[in-house]
Amino acid sequence: MRMNKRAATVALLSVAAVGLAGCSSADSSPDSSGDAAAAVGDCAPSTGKVDLTFTSWIPGMEDVVAVWNEQNPDIQVAVQTGPNGNGGTYQNFFNQLKAGNAPDLGQIEYDALPNFRVQDGLMDLAACDGVLDAQEDFVDWTWGQVNFGEADAVYAIPQDSGPMAMFYRADLFEANNIAIPTTWAEYATAAEQVRATGGYITNFSQSDINQFAGLVWQAGGTWFQNDGTDWTVDLTSAESTKVADYWQDLVDRDLVSVNPPWTTEWDNAYNTGSDWTWNSAAWGANSIMSGAPDTAGKWAVAPSPQWEAGDAASGNWGGSSTAVFKGSEHPYEAAQFALWLNTSDESLTLLNKSANLYPAAKSGLELPVLKEGVAFYGDQPIYDVFAEASGQVSADFVWGPTMTQTYNDVSDGFKAAVSGQGTLSEALATGQDSTIAALEAQAIPVKK
Amino acid sequence: MSAPAIVSTAPVARAGAAAKKTGVKHRRAILTFVLPFGTLFALFYLVPIGYAIQRSLLVIERDGTFGQAREVFGGLSQYVLVFQNGPFWRSIARVLTFGAVQVPVMLGLALLFALLLDSPLLRGKKFFRLAFFVPYAVPGVIAAIMWGFLYSPKLSPFSAVTENVDFMSADLVLWSIANVVTWVYVGYNMLIIYSSLLAIPTELYEAARLDGAGQVRIAWSIKIPLIMPAIVLTAIFSIIGTLQLLAEPQVFRSFSSAVTSTFTPNLTVYSTSSIPNFNLAAAFSVVLALATFVLSFTFLKFTARKEAK
Repeated sequence: MRMNKRAATVALLSVAAVGLAGCSSADSSPDSSGDAAAAVGDCAPSTGKVDLTFTSWIPGMEDVVAVWNEQNPDIQVAVQTGPNGNGGTYQNFFNQLKAGNAPDLGQIEYDALPNFRVQDGLMDLAACDGVLDAQEDFVDWTWGQVNFGEADAVYAIPQDSGPMAMFYRADLFEANNIAIPTTWAEYATAAEQVRATGGYITNFSQSDINQFAGLVWQAGGTWFQNDGTDWTVDLTSAESTKVADYWQDLVDRDLVSVNPPWTTEWDNAYNTGSDWTWNSAAWGANSIMSGAPDTAGKWAVAPSPQWEAGDAASGNWGGSSTAVFKGSEHPYEAAQFALWLNTSDESLTLLNKSANLYPAAKSGLELPVLKEGVAFYGDQPIYDVFAEASGQVSADFVWGPTMTQTYNDVSDGFKAAVSGQGTLSEALATGQDSTIAALEAQAIPVKK
Repeated sequence: MSAPAIVSTAPVARAGAAAKKTGVKHRRAILTFVLPFGTLFALFYLVPIGYAIQRSLLVIERDGTFGQAREVFGGLSQYVLVFQNGPFWRSIARVLTFGAVQVPVMLGLALLFALLLDSPLLRGKKFFRLAFFVPYAVPGVIAAIMWGFLYSPKLSPFSAVTENVDFMSADLVLWSIANVVTWVYVGYNMLIIYSSLLAIPTELYEAARLDGAGQVRIAWSIKIPLIMPAIVLTAIFSIIGTLQLLAEPQVFRSFSSAVTSTFTPNLTVYSTSSIPNFNLAAAFSVVLALATFVLSFTFLKFTARKEAK
């Protein structure tokens, strides 16, 4: 019948169809209920052979897991791949948690962790052997993302981070004698010069709200605060408004293209040299390579433009963790796998090669693969730029507990704004109101 | 098979009288045959609906942000939210506008194609029957992606048109989606109507021809009135399908700035459940189901009365 068939195809395919976005990811494994006060549950090894399931969308994850499976005959991990988190996998996770059949491990970006914790989906892994001790192995702010500031809790193991920088077409800037912008004011000037040649300096994304959040992050803003009991929602701070007004101006003057991101049209704009820069994260290196293959060797990476000349601030976009879901019968083994996945040199090297992940583990930052020049980027050792950016990311940015909803609602507003209805600031104001309403619907205490 | 046994013993006392009256002698056999359907119907229809209704009556309570959530009875408070939700009702208005145009166009085409297939004037019937039906074999999501490319400003094979007419704009995207839906479902509806045409006794045509009726007259005065039930059936399917539009707008959402997360009622339900706010999503679903029910039955009543006249 018409309806049934449609519903089934939607369920099976829409996710696959839409989910090409390239955020990095991780899986985290929390155990125990969300309460900080909850006693650290036991995390004893199971006896005999253990089979784990792990859902991820990172390109090449199967190969990394195959290495683990070979070395650990008693802990076999089966990888299931899906679309990126907000492209459908998170929805699946929520549904699976509701139905009690979630995988043992899942890839969850940092911005979605509070959402999963509020839904009581994450195991606290603190009791698992070696997990608490792993804190010092990770870049500080990434650990803050997975323990929510609680010293004796660990809700996921950090995998990678997404320090932001500016990818740019070195050849086009040079051929047209346009200076590489180092401030946002210079970026706007360069945008005019680029437009005069017929191109666009970049594409303003109407649906990557996490990218926009990264730009707000760089400007020193934050969208959420949690004082231990109550949440504060602040999508309309001076910093957010500054960033929104800046891009609104570029959109209004037709200095940026507004193709919906992650579409072939968007890829095409980069592949044909119509769009010149992309303010993206380390993992974005992979997206350009796959989306704009004809431009190999012509790209370079520079630090993000700054709001004031001489500043050195960077935002973060994406980065994820490996979580263990509530209901897993083998948290000990799952935690061991998650630790290996995110700290071992061989795993991190493979993940960098296949997905350009920038490790959250400190030791990973010293990997030889991160020191090498990358051919696609004119043999520039691009990770040096991201290493510098990583050190400039403020640790204070907090994610809200209903980010899927916040992203959806702000994106609806951004879509209208790039179509000429309303502005980006108005979209943030609407997102502010709907986020507060969504928190209240979940009975999450929020200050107005 | 204990279930049929239980069912059969209880009514046995009254079975004699009932059987005489109605002539039902095979109660046990009937029950046995109905049981598989009844079980599936209950499991996959009644229980989920009941579950959705139950969920929609709950609200969440918790202590602090990360406290354990408790679902407690909240009366109709989710429904209050549904009725206060502007985007949801705008999405209903949007699909009704969509349906008011798309359903008549699609069924008109389906009827025309079915009549052409049924007319003796056309050659290559098998080919055309298959050709019109093939789009239905394409999964809705794939069809939407394909049309997304065709509409694409720079990458479309018809970019001479699409660069100048933005099929993904706020003004046009609803009708671009209507075109996709029509393309997919015309053949399906055509087949239902066509099979109904095949059931008409040919004597009627002979009689009409003897009375001097041409093909057009036969189609208008004999075929269409006789297949009216099939047309009504396809109309009802289409109304239901319109209210439940999901796949096409979901796919178009990634291509088009004009398709928001609340573009159609079902997309609103999907977005709400991915917050996740299952209780509110359940309330949306129940209201949508009721609206669909009311609309379908109003249409049935309306057409039934018309036929009675």
